[in-house]
Amino acid sequence: MTVGLNAFILVAGLLFAIGLLGVILRKNTLIIYMSLELMLNAVNLALVAFSRYNGTMDGNLFVFFIITVAAAEVALGLAIIVALFRLRQTVMVDQLTALSR
Amino acid sequence: MNKLLIEFLSGYTATNQWAAILPEIMMGVLALCLLAAEMVLPKNRQAWVPRLAIWGQVLILMIAFGFVGRCSIGEFQYFSGLITQTDVTQIMRGFFLVSSIAVCYLGHIYLSKQTLPQTEFYALVLIISAGMMLLVQSTHFVMLFVALETVTVAFYVLVAYSRTSQFSLEAGLKYLILGALSSGILLFGIVLLYGIAGNPELLGASRDSLNYGELMNFVILNMNNMIVKIGALLVIAGVCFKIGAVPFQIWVPDVYQGAPTPVTAYLAVASKAAGFIVLIELVRGPFFGLQDFLVPVLSVIAAATILFGNIAAVAQRNVKRLMGLSGIAHAGYLLLGVIAVMRGVDWAVYAVIFYLVTYLLASFAVFGVMSIAAGEEDANQELDHYESFARKRPFLGGVLACGLGSLAGIPPLGGFIGKLFLFVAAFQAELYGLLIIAIVGVVISIYYYFGWIRECYFSSSSTAVVKDISCGATSSDRFLLGALTVASIVIGILPAALPIIR
Repeated sequence: MTVGLNAFILVAGLLFAIGLLGVILRKNTLIIYMSLELMLNAVNLALVAFSRYNGTMDGNLFVFFIITVAAAEVALGLAIIVALFRLRQTVMVDQLTALSR
Repeated sequence: MNKLLIEFLSGYTATNQWAAILPEIMMGVLALCLLAAEMVLPKNRQAWVPRLAIWGQVLILMIAFGFVGRCSIGEFQYFSGLITQTDVTQIMRGFFLVSSIAVCYLGHIYLSKQTLPQTEFYALVLIISAGMMLLVQSTHFVMLFVALETVTVAFYVLVAYSRTSQFSLEAGLKYLILGALSSGILLFGIVLLYGIAGNPELLGASRDSLNYGELMNFVILNMNNMIVKIGALLVIAGVCFKIGAVPFQIWVPDVYQGAPTPVTAYLAVASKAAGFIVLIELVRGPFFGLQDFLVPVLSVIAAATILFGNIAAVAQRNVKRLMGLSGIAHAGYLLLGVIAVMRGVDWAVYAVIFYLVTYLLASFAVFGVMSIAAGEEDANQELDHYESFARKRPFLGGVLACGLGSLAGIPPLGGFIGKLFLFVAAFQAELYGLLIIAIVGVVISIYYYFGWIRECYFSSSSTAVVKDISCGATSSDRFLLGALTVASIVIGILPAALPIIR
């Protein structure tokens, strides 16, 4: 039995939705971060699936660019979170309100 | 030597197109040179780094425009469709170079008041500038994504640059989360379009479905496909995040306030400009067939953006947030131009660029004054600090008044002509409802811009000892700010002075 394209796209869509909800609902910056990664990986999954079923290589190639960019973003994000934690002793978004006046 | 390798190399050099992106490569090399110069130069010669950055960019500007001699270069595709150079991208090259030169100068003013590492700031500014030049040239979604992320990731660092200030770090974190979110949404849209346009069972399917041209043909044939529409909406939403349009504007006031003032200026001017050119290229290219669907969507966004930006700015006392919120309103006016382009008014592209140029001149004048007037903590710049500012610093007060007047759109200044062109374009595109909303927005904006000018000129604070905000302007500050103001006035009186009007 082979798994159809629709199944892949469904899973990718679900992962993307879980990630999006996580970013919107969760309060801990680190978990928001993981949710963002989940969204990017949903995109990767969909790309690979489309690439396989359409018979083109562009999608597979694009995935590598996305992985690289995601790595750069995470490195930067963790650096900012660590610097902020040293200054404020918290990573919860509802306590980071110095700017919202 | 391997014969295959030689064949490969000769084939490669036969299609050598790297000269097409020479200015971008030179920007990258200059950025690396700055980092090297910091190591080589002795401690007491470190002041050469900003000079090298600024004069290096002036040289690149001369080379970029010396090659072609004028702003129009025709249309060429390079790297098998990854980038396409047109007149618009050539003009934008100049635009980004001028704005990064100005940002380097403002950065020099800002960094002289802080104890922060210097060189990386200039290097990142140059890399962002090169990234934005490639971003507006890209006609392939992979290229678009990579250029966009180069710009965005470097911006994360710049926004959080002042790492001893909780405001800057918090702004950096907020920009990072929402920027990454918008990239994710953009990517999901791209993937849907890639998948559906490459599906061999559909009419007009393409093997190269990430390319704008191929996608445009596919979308015209399948304009009622649900997945095409969702993909296009997600891509547009991702771009709207970057330009700060409602409902994706939540990051703008916070990030503009927390970021160092030169970075705020860079975000407000160059990042927004790049977003708009990308948006125009998308709606003229791949999404050309979706006009009937996208025009109402963008019209609602434009109306909401204009009203939200202006109404929220009225009650604002922090000048950096004020500039951010009014920047949202300016994005709304520019969306008017984009919608006009979609409705077939082709010259509206030049109206948008003209508006961006006047916005650049006026914004950098205002942000320049703010950089000079800022104290040690750069996020807290309240309107009250500008009490009788013009009496203490007549020159800076005058520059500020001209810049704000141009942003508000007062007749002898450039901003007025920019708004006029945009509104005429919108009129020709028969967008009467939006036009009324835009004019209401302009009237509101005059109120808060003039509130700031009034604070400078007519505040009656004889008793209050206004704390002396900083040292005055040096002669080179005066030169830069004076040049920006004069350019604003000249463009306002003589719009044809700008070579893009033909």
